Amino acid sequence: MNFIGISINHRTSSIELREAVHLSKEEQIQFIHVLKNGIFKEGFVLSTCNRTEVFGVPSHNRITHKEIVASLKEFKNIKNLDDEHIEIYKAKDAISHIARVTYGIDSLIIGDSQILSQSKESFRLSVDEKFSNTITRKIFDTTIRVGKRAIKETLISHGAVTVSFAAIQVIEKIFANLYKKEALIIGAGETSELAAIHLKSKNIGKITITNRTFDKAAKLAKKVEGKVIDFSEFKNNLKDFDVIISATSAKEYLVSYSDIKKAIQQRKGNPIFIMDIAIPRDIDPAVKKIDNVFYNDIDSLNIIVEQNLNKRKNEIPHVKEIIEEEVDNCFHWFNTLGVVPTIKSLRSFFESIEVDELKKIKNKVSDEDYIKLESMAKRLIGRILHNPTVKLRKLAESGDDVETVKEKTSAIKYLFDLDNIPSNGKDKL
Amino acid sequence: MLNTIHTINILLPFLYLSTFGIYLYNFLKEGNKIYNSKRIFLFITLFVHLVYLLFRTLEFDHPPIINKFEIFTVLAFSLSFAYFLLELLTDVRDTGAFILMFSLLFQVISSIFIVDTFEVKDVLRNNLLGIHVISALLGYSGFTIAAVYGGLFFLLYKNIKSNKYGLIFNRLPSLEILEKLNFYSVIIGFILLTLSIMIGFIWLPSAFPDITYSDPKLISIGIIWLIFGVGILAKVSAKLYGKKVIIFSLLGYALALGSLLVFNILVKSFHSFY
Repeated sequence: MNFIGISINHRTSSIELREAVHLSKEEQIQFIHVLKNGIFKEGFVLSTCNRTEVFGVPSHNRITHKEIVASLKEFKNIKNLDDEHIEIYKAKDAISHIARVTYGIDSLIIGDSQILSQSKESFRLSVDEKFSNTITRKIFDTTIRVGKRAIKETLISHGAVTVSFAAIQVIEKIFANLYKKEALIIGAGETSELAAIHLKSKNIGKITITNRTFDKAAKLAKKVEGKVIDFSEFKNNLKDFDVIISATSAKEYLVSYSDIKKAIQQRKGNPIFIMDIAIPRDIDPAVKKIDNVFYNDIDSLNIIVEQNLNKRKNEIPHVKEIIEEEVDNCFHWFNTLGVVPTIKSLRSFFESIEVDELKKIKNKVSDEDYIKLESMAKRLIGRILHNPTVKLRKLAESGDDVETVKEKTSAIKYLFDLDNIPSNGKDKL
Repeated sequence: MLNTIHTINILLPFLYLSTFGIYLYNFLKEGNKIYNSKRIFLFITLFVHLVYLLFRTLEFDHPPIINKFEIFTVLAFSLSFAYFLLELLTDVRDTGAFILMFSLLFQVISSIFIVDTFEVKDVLRNNLLGIHVISALLGYSGFTIAAVYGGLFFLLYKNIKSNKYGLIFNRLPSLEILEKLNFYSVIIGFILLTLSIMIGFIWLPSAFPDITYSDPKLISIGIIWLIFGVGILAKVSAKLYGKKVIIFSLLGYALALGSLLVFNILVKSFHSFY
């Protein structure tokens, strides 16, 4: 049985091409229907800003990556997607690749957790669109198991790898209980929003937003269940905040050394964490000299990000080992998919002969002799089938070469003409 | 029993060394393989040490506080025990190595130099004296642990201020927790020292009819009690936080240590038994 797919990612293509290939959720649904129509029996489609992955079980043996690429080109109406822009994966390699992608080993940001949720969403979409079947589900289960083990046995997801999360890491080294703390976000742009969402996800006590445009501040405050403070007022209230994050496009400092000095005096030494992620900076960096003030800008937080990324890189070999183990297990199962029906058919075939032959002599021998003959026939067939059954099962369990498994099961099917014999439904495995 | 006491005396430094080693290893290495087992090691060490102290008390018929090296072993025990309680109460488990190294040091010195003393003054066999000394030692242990947490606070504070995100940053608990641990240790130390002083006031006049309250050792303890008492009061009433509080706490500890050394070594006191 085959499992193939293509990957268009940050290694193979430019950002322009990746954008051109990108499939929105609606497009993914439509494209799944295209794939179902003659290309894949089952599979899944994953598309993010960094990659588009199309994987599945081909409808017939003639399907190769060329048909997948052609359908994608036609669907997205792009002409410049060539072989050099894609990676092709088959069978075991394909499953390993999916596991690597799902757990961010293949991402720009190693161990990126966002891709995991995107992958889960893709599998969910595949199930919803009835594009998922036994194999896709098994692959999904395998990747989930890889993830659980990777999280438990390695440090691949440890430490912050974005500036906002790095800031949270520093905040957690200053304060013990974030739910008792108050944060002030200066600015209501995209960066501020991200910072506010991160703080919210860490259950910070209160979030207050201030912005030159009050409405924007109110909009963000609504999103993070925070409150708004007037831009002209916030400097008088700095003493109330344990965390101050600033990300505006102001050309000059919004908060001076003396503003923070005054606030820390009013707080009787209670620490303040300041994160200035604006360029040019909003807060006078001289505030870092004040006792109990912890000032960070993008450069200082990037030190944490780099350290954590290096730590994660060191964990990649361990995760790859886990992937190999789990993919091997998955592939053994994969091989048994072809073998099990063959064993069933073979047994059915011999059992039908047994029944036929016994029927022929039933009226020619005594009941006592018939029982003896029946028992002998069963033993005979059992012994004849013992070796082929064991060998096929071993082949399924130990072999990792689909073609070999396929070749041997095909030979048996051909010799006994098993494809034309209906199974009697008995499963004697 | 004497043989058992001698065997445990040899065993204890190794137990402290193993426990310290495990705590240190866990601090240096990330991962949680020995995260839970280190507490079991500490518990076993404390249990063996407690048995040792009880056996000494029973065998020699006096609390193990009659010479410097007996005091050292009690100090090793009380430091580890105070840390153990703090770890159980707060579930902060990554700072043990910094406390246990003092226990290890005291126990090694004690194990090497300790002698078996059967003949002691009657006054030293009094149970109240035992409680008085042990609570005082536990009190000093509290102040010592507070000083260690103060030092760790400073280390982490400096690391965060100078954007150094290495081992100290990764493995120590937050500044707020270190500050709390420092404060709780001071409180526990202060309560136990107060208890010790109160017992002393009850017991001393009956044991020493010629007692004088201007005795240098009593004055030194009074100074220590005042330093920490005023510090606690100032922190609670003025709601002070951060670096300055830790500086005051460390200065208080240095002053207390200095006062203890000066009055114990340089000045003659009625309050000296060895």
